[in-house]
Amino acid sequence: MMVVQSQESTADNVHELVDYINLGYLTMTLYCLGIEGTAHSFGAGVVTSEGEVLSNEWDMLKPAQGGIHPREASRHHSELGPSIIKDAIDKAGINFQKIGLIAFSQGPGLGPCLRTTATIARTLALKLKVPLVGVNHCVAHIEIGCLESNFNDPVTVYVSGGNTQVIAFAGGRFRTFGETLDIAIGNMLDVLGRELGMGFPGGPIIEQEAKNGTEYHSLPYSVKGMDLSYSGMLTASKRLHSEGVSIPDICYSVQETSFGMLAEIAERAIAHTKKSELLLTGGVARNNRLSEILSGVADRHEADYHRVSPSLAGDQGAMIAWNGILQYNAGEETKVENSHVLPKWRTDDQDIVWR
Amino acid sequence: MEVVRLKQLLAKGAESVIFKIDQWGSPYVLKWRQPKSYLLKDIDSQLRRSRTSRECKMLTVSRSLGVPTPAVYSINLDKHMILMDFISGNQFKQLPEQISNPELVSLSRRFGGLIALLHQGNVVHGDPTTSNVIVDNKSRMWIVDFGLSEMNATIEMKGVDLHLIHRALETTHWEFQDTMLESTIEGYIEVLGDVAEPTLSRMKDIRERGRYH
Repeated sequence: MMVVQSQESTADNVHELVDYINLGYLTMTLYCLGIEGTAHSFGAGVVTSEGEVLSNEWDMLKPAQGGIHPREASRHHSELGPSIIKDAIDKAGINFQKIGLIAFSQGPGLGPCLRTTATIARTLALKLKVPLVGVNHCVAHIEIGCLESNFNDPVTVYVSGGNTQVIAFAGGRFRTFGETLDIAIGNMLDVLGRELGMGFPGGPIIEQEAKNGTEYHSLPYSVKGMDLSYSGMLTASKRLHSEGVSIPDICYSVQETSFGMLAEIAERAIAHTKKSELLLTGGVARNNRLSEILSGVADRHEADYHRVSPSLAGDQGAMIAWNGILQYNAGEETKVENSHVLPKWRTDDQDIVWR
Repeated sequence: MEVVRLKQLLAKGAESVIFKIDQWGSPYVLKWRQPKSYLLKDIDSQLRRSRTSRECKMLTVSRSLGVPTPAVYSINLDKHMILMDFISGNQFKQLPEQISNPELVSLSRRFGGLIALLHQGNVVHGDPTTSNVIVDNKSRMWIVDFGLSEMNATIEMKGVDLHLIHRALETTHWEFQDTMLESTIEGYIEVLGDVAEPTLSRMKDIRERGRYH
């Protein structure tokens, strides 16, 4: 936020002016550029302090074969990053001089990707002479979901290629009530897709194939308290494939079992926390069958349900920008010398000062 | 046969509803795993049936290992219902704010001790949160909700059980988590001695999995 001082201003009337701003008599819109690059996607978005998403540009590395290599992903970010950022500024209808804050994904994520992203963010902040804020990627997914849904205090199911977590706010922090004990659901779907000869990412193709599935084949259902495990299901579904079970039936069985498990841990979290909002976010939130199941969970517990819209569900810069604004307005700033990346930053390691 | 009349909805859990009923002059709990329309029928009915039967069996197995659990009076596998003892008391979950630190230490140690008795018999509870621990009016501790419990437990399964306790303490009792975790582990070691070590170190490994590296 900028305070305009007139020539003859004294210390006293500057304080008065600041008071006016704080009381809401004078407001100035803050434009934040958010940069996201924790894994295989790079994104940049511009969001205002009023919560308006002006632009949200991104590109995902799609390897010709195999999985994501961190080094290749970081090269992708350094090659495409500058033009994606430029697009985000242009699409927002502003120029770099309008940007008052740079927010970046400080963690958690793949080290090489985080470092490339952080380097771009630091450079921009120093060049534009604006503050820098490091944002927790998982927390940003929740906050952009709250912005869109107007939820205050949801139980969040966050499902993506790298994360499977059930998170809720308690005692000043976002706490992980449950998570995967081995691989993330998006990772499980992508690896299975590869096994079944599908391109990357496999999740959306599996969703289409599952619609033609008719016969359910039993798969390991592994829920432990509010945690779950997907590695056994991956092995068992590969075996179904080698036994000649049709691809639609495998996809159908995998979706029903893995989403049923997610429904159960979400339900356990709602019953345990007694919260009345359920939010679905992350790249796998785009799956319609998963959303249908979780909306059933919300109904059973008389909770409101919201699925984050596709453009804000996956990894992207707008969520980083919005979270940056929340943090900055609550008095947080990340000095360049303290802006080292945090690959293993746990969701519950951050004091949430803006809530 | 007398008809059991439902009296009072006690709780709506993640996978069941629990009623309190008064019959034959005593209070009982009726636990009913209702159908869930949003799940695939095959999965839903298989889960409801297996967990109902598992819970009955494990309540009894656990008692034979020295862990106080409610006695089961009746079971209907087709309707997914269990009739068992009503334990009058408080959930451990509600107590930390209300009691003194030495009392909290003592209760946490007993909780750890009871989990250790299960593990000693190669049984894991599967959902060892403080919601599933009841402290009765004579300050005896009971363990309930054995729907996710398993026999023939490996070190990995026991490690997950301890990890779940750690998780429950940090999400639900964050102000007391250090005291409670430390005392729970002390109680656990008190029963198991050196045998506890591999399970405790597995607990720490498990915590680091499933995340970015």
